[in-house]
Amino acid sequence: MNIYKPELVEIMDIIQETPDIKTFKLQFVSKKMREEFSFLAGQFAEYSVFGEGECTFCIASPPTRTEYLECSFKIAGKVTGALNKMNKGDIIGLRGPYGNHFPLEQMEGKNVVFIAGGIGLAPVRCIIWNVLDLRDKFKDVTIVYGARSVSDLVYKRELEEWKKMDGVKTVVTVDPGGETPDWTGEVGFVPSIVEKVAPASENSIAIICGPPIMIKYTFPVLEKLGFTEDNMITTLENRMKCGLGKCGRCNIGNVYVCKDGPVFSYKEMLELPQEY
Amino acid sequence: MKLMKIEKGNLSKLMEHLKKDNFRVIGVTPDGKRFSEKFDETLNFMQSDTPPTSISFKEHFFLKTEALFYYKNNNGAIDLKEPVIDERKTVVIGARPCDTASLPILSKVFNWDYADDFFNRRVENSIIIGMKCNYQDDYCFCNEVGLSQNSEKGSDIFLIPDGDAFIAKTITDKGNKFIEEFAIFFEEYTGNPPAENKNGHDEKKFDYESVKKWLDNNFEHKFWDEAGETCLSCGQCAFVCPTCHCFDIVDEQCGTCAGVRAKNWDACQFSLFTKHASGHNPRDSREKRYRQRISHKFKYYNDKFSEILCTGCGRCSRGCPVSTDILELLEEIDQIAHSTTN
Amino acid sequence: MDQLRSVCRQAISENKAAFIIGYTEDKHHHLKPFIAHNVEETEKLTFNCNAVNNLAVFIHRFHNPSQGKIGIVLKPCDLKAINALVQENRVKREDLYVIGVNCSGVVKDQNKEFSKENTQIKCRSCASKTPAWFDVVVGESAEFELPEDDMAILMKQIDEMTPEQRLEFWNAEFEKCLKCYACREVCPMCYCEQCIADKTEPRWIESSSTTRANFTWNMIRAFHQAGRCIGCGECDRVCPADIPLSLLNRKMGMVAFKEFGYRHGTDMNAPTLIGTFSTSDHEEFIR
Ligand SMILES: Cc1cc2nc3c(=O)[nH]c(=O)nc-3n(C[C@H](O)[C@H](O)[C@H](O)COP(=O)(O)OP(=O)(O)OC[C@H]3O[C@@H](n4cnc5c(N)ncnc54)[C@H](O)[C@@H]3O)c2cc1C
Ligand code: SF4
Ligand code: SF4
Ligand code: SF4
Ligand code: SF4
Ligand code: SF4
Ligand code: FES
Repeated sequence: MNIYKPELVEIMDIIQETPDIKTFKLQFVSKKMREEFSFLAGQFAEYSVFGEGECTFCIASPPTRTEYLECSFKIAGKVTGALNKMNKGDIIGLRGPYGNHFPLEQMEGKNVVFIAGGIGLAPVRCIIWNVLDLRDKFKDVTIVYGARSVSDLVYKRELEEWKKMDGVKTVVTVDPGGETPDWTGEVGFVPSIVEKVAPASENSIAIICGPPIMIKYTFPVLEKLGFTEDNMITTLENRMKCGLGKCGRCNIGNVYVCKDGPVFSYKEMLELPQEY
Repeated sequence: MKLMKIEKGNLSKLMEHLKKDNFRVIGVTPDGKRFSEKFDETLNFMQSDTPPTSISFKEHFFLKTEALFYYKNNNGAIDLKEPVIDERKTVVIGARPCDTASLPILSKVFNWDYADDFFNRRVENSIIIGMKCNYQDDYCFCNEVGLSQNSEKGSDIFLIPDGDAFIAKTITDKGNKFIEEFAIFFEEYTGNPPAENKNGHDEKKFDYESVKKWLDNNFEHKFWDEAGETCLSCGQCAFVCPTCHCFDIVDEQCGTCAGVRAKNWDACQFSLFTKHASGHNPRDSREKRYRQRISHKFKYYNDKFSEILCTGCGRCSRGCPVSTDILELLEEIDQIAHSTTN
Repeated sequence: MDQLRSVCRQAISENKAAFIIGYTEDKHHHLKPFIAHNVEETEKLTFNCNAVNNLAVFIHRFHNPSQGKIGIVLKPCDLKAINALVQENRVKREDLYVIGVNCSGVVKDQNKEFSKENTQIKCRSCASKTPAWFDVVVGESAEFELPEDDMAILMKQIDEMTPEQRLEFWNAEFEKCLKCYACREVCPMCYCEQCIADKTEPRWIESSSTTRANFTWNMIRAFHQAGRCIGCGECDRVCPADIPLSLLNRKMGMVAFKEFGYRHGTDMNAPTLIGTFSTSDHEEFIR
């Protein structure tokens, strides 16, 4: 088998989330793949634009919804730039799923706290829907999401949907200066909003994804609230090419983010050498 | 294991015969630099006391550029085509232990959960005729990484020079079958069995275990600042190395709507290797990159696969533009390790 | 080389230089680049006929004017690189403390004794053996016999080839290239922050190592060195595939001299060839 050869997927729909972030709804061209493809929340895939190359995104839709596969990407360079120019009906490539996943089983029967910043909501959205689709298995759900400004918020319609749900506390914030006159949400950086929302740490598990700086300042806040090192879960991003543990660039010490990650507990993260 | 004998003249004839038989035969080029199909047909390289080639033979198993598939875009309909791999049986002749051992070592990463068939098929398709080594210079350290001048690791047939002939030792079934198939070129060996697999020199230049232990505990250490200070961040060391296996994946257009996705050699010493699209680079200095090189070879790979990612061939050091000597650095680590534990 | 060490010691202790880029001897009795950061480390500096590296390449890697001046040990031939870099505004003369060495030739192969056969070809074109300028100079230069210029012989052979033969010759050479970029990294004149070979949007040079892509890479590097190469031969020395790279650059340099009477790196105050507009230029498109 050729492990480097992607499967073909068709772009069924494109949603412009923010000026530089888009969500693609994808469907496998092959019927067999549509039936057989399965993954777990937190896993990622390699997406290709033929002629431009591949890049890495998490799968942003939950495993509980199989009609489409979704990914959200921010324009960053060559391949994301090319993806940005693609239209509904175009064909791209997909290899995966790769990597480990969020500890869904460990989360069962617990309160779950989701904290995300910017496009970091993409992997978190996957697990949020996964949890909400299996609502009975979990206790209280808290979602704290922030972006630089109102126009940088992704999945706006879903944020509204979550706000209306029972047993789900959704707090959306923008960085100071990023608010619009009619903004009704919070204003402030994610760590301070988390401090304000103060989710209970008792029987809780927190999932945190976002820019490194946000993650860095959120951990101490959660620790103060009583979260333990193995009850705080995050994802790490490193430059990747193969996703298969072979090309040699994603390692942090002897941990390969593409195989042993991208999901790590804060405890595991602390054990890694400082090279990420 | 079986012992046979082959005269040097017969070995040449065997190679000629194989070529006619549509084998891909790979030996050392006349300048002694490299393994190639255009090898020195006089088999002058079948001397065991010359330096190893400057570029390892890995380029015949892990290609510097490997076509992964071809794509074609017909007005939006994408067509992917598998590449055609040269399926000819391959015979590699005259590789030293520090080359042959790299195949089983590399096989670990190329089969870590996902099997890289490009590498696997090439290895499966090959008969590796290794040769005992009698060379030894200040850059070599095969003994220190668990190999020796007599290591048969990775060979299917192992040749031991015996006057004007070679004792041919079969190591694998594949090697056995090969000798059976080409029996007319071989004779029975009636002499004493060659000396047991023994290390070339008893005194070790450094102690791997203490180097490993030091690496386990010293990710941060001023040693790294000095080790990589004058490194130029080129790819020489990785590209001549039999065990380096990093690669990049790129699309190369041929015309406007067709092209190839290729897997190309890459190296951790290049400054762009780990650079994120955001501009952040976890290994943004030569020192950090050099630490990765040593740590990957002598710690990480061993942690993961129980193999040292180095055969001690010394190629990287002999060719380094700024004379970075990996052995010297390992010796230094060994010394630091000892001075801090005693 | 006590004289060298004492000069370097003084340079640091008297704050003439923040650190010294020089040579040290390794256990193989080869010389390799070494950075002396303090007075103690200057004890490790040395110089002899094994000092093959052109240290000018490190200027790009350690250039931080706020630290103080860069002390650098330079052979007369390496000084050309500094001239050229000053001409190209990469470094300022006053940011350097140049420790010139009188040179008696350097070896081709550090494993062998210095001899007529074992001398770098570039030593043939070294007119001076004493540095043209410096802040301080050390050592003695002695006369030595020059080796045969096998590159010139090869160049003559190539000149006599038909274009098809020439293409075949270079294709065969470039096919060997591994794309390790050692030639670029070791070259004092290859200092672009982002090399065109690394540009991905758009991709100018395919990163694969096919004959075609290797050809593009090597030719583009040669073009970018046209009239800029100072002939230190470092690219030749380090190429693991043994491609006679400096042949191309030397040829370009010869053309530049023939057409414009210009040699890069001979005068740090001269305007560069590429950067000069002249109404007497014989190409029309430029006038
Ligand atoms: C596990 C994981 C999950 C991710 N999930 C998402 C997600 O859900 N959404 C999302 O938007 N992003 C995600 N990312 C980040 C995403 O992978 C990158 O933003 C994307 O790959 C950028 O690709 P590009 O081709 O557009 O950029 P490139 O053009 O490859 O890179 C742009 C930058 O990289 C540098 N560069 C160019 N060529 C090279 C080279 N050959 N080697 C090294 N550096 C080079 C350049 O300096 C350039 O500035 C994820 C990353 C990981 C690891
Ligand atoms: S060959 Fe030498 S200079 Fe080049 S990357 Fe390796 S250690 Fe650095
Ligand atoms: S690291 Fe150096 S010594 Fe070790 S196998 Fe590679 S080239 Fe040989
Ligand atoms: S040493 Fe560097 S180039 Fe070689 S395999 Fe390890 S990470 Fe890759
Ligand atoms: S191209 Fe080669 S010879 Fe010319 S300056 Fe650069 S390294 Fe020296
Ligand atoms: S040094 Fe030689 S092999 Fe390496 S990139 Fe340059 S020409 Fe190619
Ligand atoms: S992405 Fe290639 S090894 Fe992890």
